Amino acid sequence: MMATGPRIKIDPASDVPVVRQIMDALRVLLVEGQLRPGTALPSVRRVAMELGVHFNTVAEAYRQLATEGWLDLKHGRAAVVVERAVPVVENGARTADFHTRLRGIVAQMRSEGIPADSIAAELRAIAKVVTRT
Amino acid sequence: MRLILCGFQVLMGALLFAVPHMTRRELLFAVPVPADFRRTQAGRSAIAVFRVVVMAALLTSVAALLFLPDEFMAMAATSAPIVLMMAGGAAFYLQYRKLAPSAIQFAGRHEAELTDAPEELPRFVWFAAGPFVMLGAAAIWMSQNWDRIPARFPVHFGFDGQPNRWAERTTRGVYGAVLFGAELCAWLLILGLAGWFGSRRSVTRSVMLGGMIGMGYFAALLFALISLQAPLGLPTWVPMVAPLAILIPLLIVMVRKMSDPQDPVDATPNECWKVGIIYYNPNDAVLFVQKRDGLGYTFNFANRWAWVLLAGLVMVMASAQFVIG
Repeated sequence: MMATGPRIKIDPASDVPVVRQIMDALRVLLVEGQLRPGTALPSVRRVAMELGVHFNTVAEAYRQLATEGWLDLKHGRAAVVVERAVPVVENGARTADFHTRLRGIVAQMRSEGIPADSIAAELRAIAKVVTRT
Repeated sequence: MRLILCGFQVLMGALLFAVPHMTRRELLFAVPVPADFRRTQAGRSAIAVFRVVVMAALLTSVAALLFLPDEFMAMAATSAPIVLMMAGGAAFYLQYRKLAPSAIQFAGRHEAELTDAPEELPRFVWFAAGPFVMLGAAAIWMSQNWDRIPARFPVHFGFDGQPNRWAERTTRGVYGAVLFGAELCAWLLILGLAGWFGSRRSVTRSVMLGGMIGMGYFAALLFALISLQAPLGLPTWVPMVAPLAILIPLLIVMVRKMSDPQDPVDATPNECWKVGIIYYNPNDAVLFVQKRDGLGYTFNFANRWAWVLLAGLVMVMASAQFVIG
């Protein structure tokens, strides 16, 4: 019987590098609390096999998330999610950067023909999750 | 003996005939195609051409086995299956070349479940002990009936059914075949376990492990019967035919289970397949992938463990020289 847990998904045909896709997918689960502190992640080998990517790609994503303070990596042990202190934003520069990127994504969605209502509904759904977590 | 050789040839021909249907519906001659492609004119024509070539080679080789004079039989018995396989291979390759330009790329799922739960082997893995028990039982029987074993007994037969190689009642002569069978079963078991831990999660993964265990029973029965044939005075055809009672049902069950359309297709990139048969993808961590030229799994030859496993097979085969003699 297979165990069930949250899943991550990548698109090999996407322009976004695979390592970035893995990091983004994991970060969403971490921020939304689907991966809680103390949760052990599957081995690099298993995730790489399931996604059909090289071991180093998954290892790099784990390392980057460890650098951001989400994971604890110890040699010979599974990667474990850790309690992460929310960093204090010193000025509005970072917020402005994310604002620009978010607008860019919305613009791209609209240019690809996704109706404005759908985009707004999606953003509201995300906002709900953000305020809850 | 001519009839037995023809029987094997017809069996091989029947298996080749079924090759286009021994894959998932989304694959035809190792080319990824839409699921309903077989029903189109192009799909039907590709299958028909392949079968005509196989049928022509089968009829020619069977005629040679039936009607060639005795002095050519040794050559015919060796070359008939090779000719049939080569004809089947060539027909397969031609259809692959014909269909390859219209190949689609499987979207598949590139998903990973984030659980650190240990990967438990299916319970049926305990059946893997069976082949070793069978070979062990044969060895024990022979040691307890040592005197019933002839001082010199045949171990290999020519096309005419007459023995052409003999063994003596020595430790090597008596237990050699059993030991070689055990080596082969161990390699099959290692291959099955490597397949379980080295492939993506899917329903067919456990079918592959079960298939390898089943092949172990086939090998064990074959080598146990080869060992026991002389002391028990069994007819020469028994070791050749009896193991088919395991092999044929095993193949049927595997084909049926592996054709399950509910199991997702392994979305391997088309450009990493050479002639639709060899998968080489250094950017894929997996050791085994679902085959495109038939049901089952094949190696990712970019994974060094594939070469280790193949080297193991070479060593097992090479050991026959020392174990059996």
